Amino acid sequence: MSAWHITIGLEVHCQLLTQAKLFCQCGTDYIGKPPNSLVCPVCLGLPGSLPVMNHYAMQLAIRTASSLHCQLLPKVVFHRKNYFYPDLPKGYQISQYDLPIGVNGYFEFLTQGEKKQVRIKRVHIEEDAGKLIHEGINLPENSSGVDFNRCGIPLVEIVTEPDLHHSEEARDSLIALRDLVRFIEVSDGNMEEGSLRCDANISISSHPDQMGAKVEVKNMNSFRSVFRALEYEIDRQKRCLEEGNCVPQETRHWDEINEVTVSSRGKEDAEDYRYFPDPDLLPYLVQEEVIQQIESSLPELPLERKERFMIDFELTEQDANVLVQDKSLADFFEICIQELNKPKFIANWTITEVLKNLNALDIDIKQSKITPSSFMELLKMIDKKEISGTIAKTILEEMFQTGGRAKEIMAKKGISQINSEKEIEKIVRQVIEQNPQSVADFLGGKEKAFHFLIGQVMKTTRGQANPDLVKSILNKELSAEG
Amino acid sequence: MNIDTVKNFTVEDYQNAYKNEEISPTEITQLFLDRIHLLDPSLRAFLTIDETGALQRARELEEKKFGEAEFPPLYGIPIAIKDNICIQGLPTTCGSRILSNYHSPFDATVIEKIKKAGGIFLGKTNMDEFAMGSSTENSGFGPTRNPFDPNRVPGGSSGGSAASVAALEAPLALGSDTGGSVRQPAAFCGIVGLRPTYGRVSRYGLISFASSLDQIGTLTRSVQDSRALFSVISGQDDRDSTCAPYPPFSSSDCLPEDEIKKMKVGVAKEYFSTGIDPSITQRIQEVLNILAKEGFEVVEVSLPHTDYALEAYYIVAPAEASSNLARYDGIAYGYRCHHPLNLQDLYTRTRTTGFGKEVLRRIILGTYCLSSGYYDEFYLKGMQVRTLVKKDFEESFEKCDILLTPTTPSMPFKFGEKSHDPYQMYLTDVFTIPSAMAGIPALSLNCGYHQHLPIGLQILGAPFQEGKIFSFASFLEKILSIPPPDIGSIHSKKEVF
Amino acid sequence: MPETISLSEIKKVVALAKLSIPDIDLEQFFLEINDILSHFDKLNRLELKEVSPTSHISWSQPPSNPDEPREWMGGEELFSQAPAVIDQYFIVPKVVDKQEE
Repeated sequence: MSAWHITIGLEVHCQLLTQAKLFCQCGTDYIGKPPNSLVCPVCLGLPGSLPVMNHYAMQLAIRTASSLHCQLLPKVVFHRKNYFYPDLPKGYQISQYDLPIGVNGYFEFLTQGEKKQVRIKRVHIEEDAGKLIHEGINLPENSSGVDFNRCGIPLVEIVTEPDLHHSEEARDSLIALRDLVRFIEVSDGNMEEGSLRCDANISISSHPDQMGAKVEVKNMNSFRSVFRALEYEIDRQKRCLEEGNCVPQETRHWDEINEVTVSSRGKEDAEDYRYFPDPDLLPYLVQEEVIQQIESSLPELPLERKERFMIDFELTEQDANVLVQDKSLADFFEICIQELNKPKFIANWTITEVLKNLNALDIDIKQSKITPSSFMELLKMIDKKEISGTIAKTILEEMFQTGGRAKEIMAKKGISQINSEKEIEKIVRQVIEQNPQSVADFLGGKEKAFHFLIGQVMKTTRGQANPDLVKSILNKELSAEG
Repeated sequence: MNIDTVKNFTVEDYQNAYKNEEISPTEITQLFLDRIHLLDPSLRAFLTIDETGALQRARELEEKKFGEAEFPPLYGIPIAIKDNICIQGLPTTCGSRILSNYHSPFDATVIEKIKKAGGIFLGKTNMDEFAMGSSTENSGFGPTRNPFDPNRVPGGSSGGSAASVAALEAPLALGSDTGGSVRQPAAFCGIVGLRPTYGRVSRYGLISFASSLDQIGTLTRSVQDSRALFSVISGQDDRDSTCAPYPPFSSSDCLPEDEIKKMKVGVAKEYFSTGIDPSITQRIQEVLNILAKEGFEVVEVSLPHTDYALEAYYIVAPAEASSNLARYDGIAYGYRCHHPLNLQDLYTRTRTTGFGKEVLRRIILGTYCLSSGYYDEFYLKGMQVRTLVKKDFEESFEKCDILLTPTTPSMPFKFGEKSHDPYQMYLTDVFTIPSAMAGIPALSLNCGYHQHLPIGLQILGAPFQEGKIFSFASFLEKILSIPPPDIGSIHSKKEVF
Repeated sequence: MPETISLSEIKKVVALAKLSIPDIDLEQFFLEINDILSHFDKLNRLELKEVSPTSHISWSQPPSNPDEPREWMGGEELFSQAPAVIDQYFIVPKVVDKQEE
């Protein structure tokens, strides 16, 4: 029984979050718009039109490459990729060839609980092509319709090395890439809407040192499709090899309905794209300051931040994970720590009470009415035992509702912790008198009765008695009894 | 006022006549339209004549009153535009059947600038298809004749523009120059042709042939007019990434006479080798003698890679063209073949019937030079030779201010004389190609006649040194005192000097 | 540098350029292009190993666009002269190889 050696590499395209297209100033919100309404001479490739690069798109591409730890190339050079297709009005796509935005990077992600690293071969920027429709109300038979709205939308292409070895890994790495591009705010990363697309290259061999024939798989439109398509391919290729045949090197597309991959029809020999430097676009030198500014403005990636929280603040993986899911929440947390160096305590309150309130109001931390300063005011009081946890929770809920500060709310609502021993003694004695059975139970050895009695004290004081004092005074009084 | 009155007019003369209210833009426009109606049925310089538009524009100009200070620099000047430059609403065919029905929905930047400067567009002129050619015989709509001899070519690819200016169908014209397509027809038609420094004039709205070589140029009856038109069309344009961030040319860049006389005139031996028509060599030598007598220092320089520039050009230019012309696919605009059977048929039949032979030849050649396995052999080599040609010029301009060469190796040839052998046709650009490859400015000036046919002299300058070129050319123009072409009618062979 | 391009190579190039040239004309192109290519052989006399290629004539940093959308109003003029338009789609014979959607 031979072991199969599977290698998978991904080619991921993300639409960049720009307002305007890559080489012209048409808008980018094409979804739902009438066909050919978001176009101009440049993205239509009309005779005499010329491209001019969108500076912000270039910055987003650099940002992407930087977050993937790529070596950034100082010159942006565009190449023409020449081929004919109706959705490509110029008969070539403006893309990048041997001088992309970034090369030789890597990124880390979690798959099945383990951390995995995938090398990034290259990151480059290119323009998107248009769309074709093959069915429509007024569409004549045997026709297709061309809509150029999507032409010229900026794309960043991320190519991984074939470092993936299972379909789960491939799917998880894609999800992680999606999370990343959203996190650094370069793309919506939405597979359903087409702002994230993925092609895969997969090969199988029976020998770890040998690479089998590379099969390209396209048309996978969801994470699930990616997983299923790769699983199908692995199976198909295994069967092929087991039967003693060679797997042909080809391009196949995933048929979602029948759940199989199909050889792409009518594909001649590999297309010759005749790449050459685009003479309409001069090389653009990226200034060192721009690169530094982009690199320094990159937020710390979730995985890295989680690990730092675990190491620096000694948080559990679970707690750290919850905090880093929302960058703003993690930021909030780190500001709070600066006011009081008790990370575990603050983390606990953030994860339980803050999130509880956010969920109840269905908002995120950015939309909430509390600030790190107001939150920490409350937490410091808890820390100093000026108020009980129970009271604090009530106050916090009020803070979320009104945006008021803890002390104001306490004053307004007449909430304050009772710390006077004399007062607590009075109430404790009262409770003891009113609950003779419980006292008897406690003295008879029932622990639960003690908690019941504490509860009664707290109820009488509406939760405002200092819990530690209540405990010690109750103990004292009961031992006097017994 | 009739056509004879204006035959030696410069832009300045027209403007003075306007300012003094001796004549109106409508009258001048009508004068030239009449001239076109008289001559063009034989000359065939125009593909589109916009009579209505031109007269309307003239009337609009007249309704506005301009003070001295804000008098538009091309006020009321009729201009002919080569048909690869987009004017909104008019046909822009590039001399090709594949665009025979194409109307551009936008204006080229140079057109916007000329409009703002008060210019009036007479129409679009004939050209070799997609600017590929040196005789205008490759036009999809029939050739243009040389005003000096109806059996000879006017040169190309801007043959229509050059012929119209020489025959005074228009006082000024725009052309485009990729390997000599403004200068060579200027030489063949006895007028002034300017190819600016690459990047000095916006290419936005110029339909591309070879993007790294194309430049819009001027065709005029005097150096002064070339300067006037160049001052309007030049300057930075944010819609063209290859357009240099320089302001429009200003006459303050020109030199006073005493500075002109100090200029060193370079002569490259490679431009005086065998294969040149002896009447050209002789005339150029006479000019050099005149210059020596005027006290100019003539310096001998060498441009050793001149002999390789043509081959490199015919790799690089067709390669870029093969990509630039891929957009002509019959899908969204232009010609589409009838009843395409399928997509493949749509593409191949549209393109094969829509393009002429020379264009097909260059697309095949260019595609081959870029194709897998041949890129290094051809395209890369072409770009490397370009570096060497550029360097040759840089080194020469350390020794001289301008270079003086013949514009063409041959006199205007007869129709059909060079069409049987593509390479023979390519050779007519041997003196204009190297400067285009290097991106440097160049001007062709009529320096005399041989058997009634004009001889062109080329002046080359370092990048952005159009001021020096204009200054020297003006001076030379004055000494040589050759009046602009005086063509009574297409069939008369008047003595002109 | 090869001195000649074979007929089958020319046919491949013709197909790549989406042209379809009848054999009779192809013969003529074959001769002409081979003649032109034979002249290119001259370039082999040059020592080019250390020579960097000039891919652009560039004097400075090119301009770039701000990320601000602008509407183009010329669509009507385009549709009015399109070979085949229905409901603002440009119509072509059915595209069989579905690369997308």
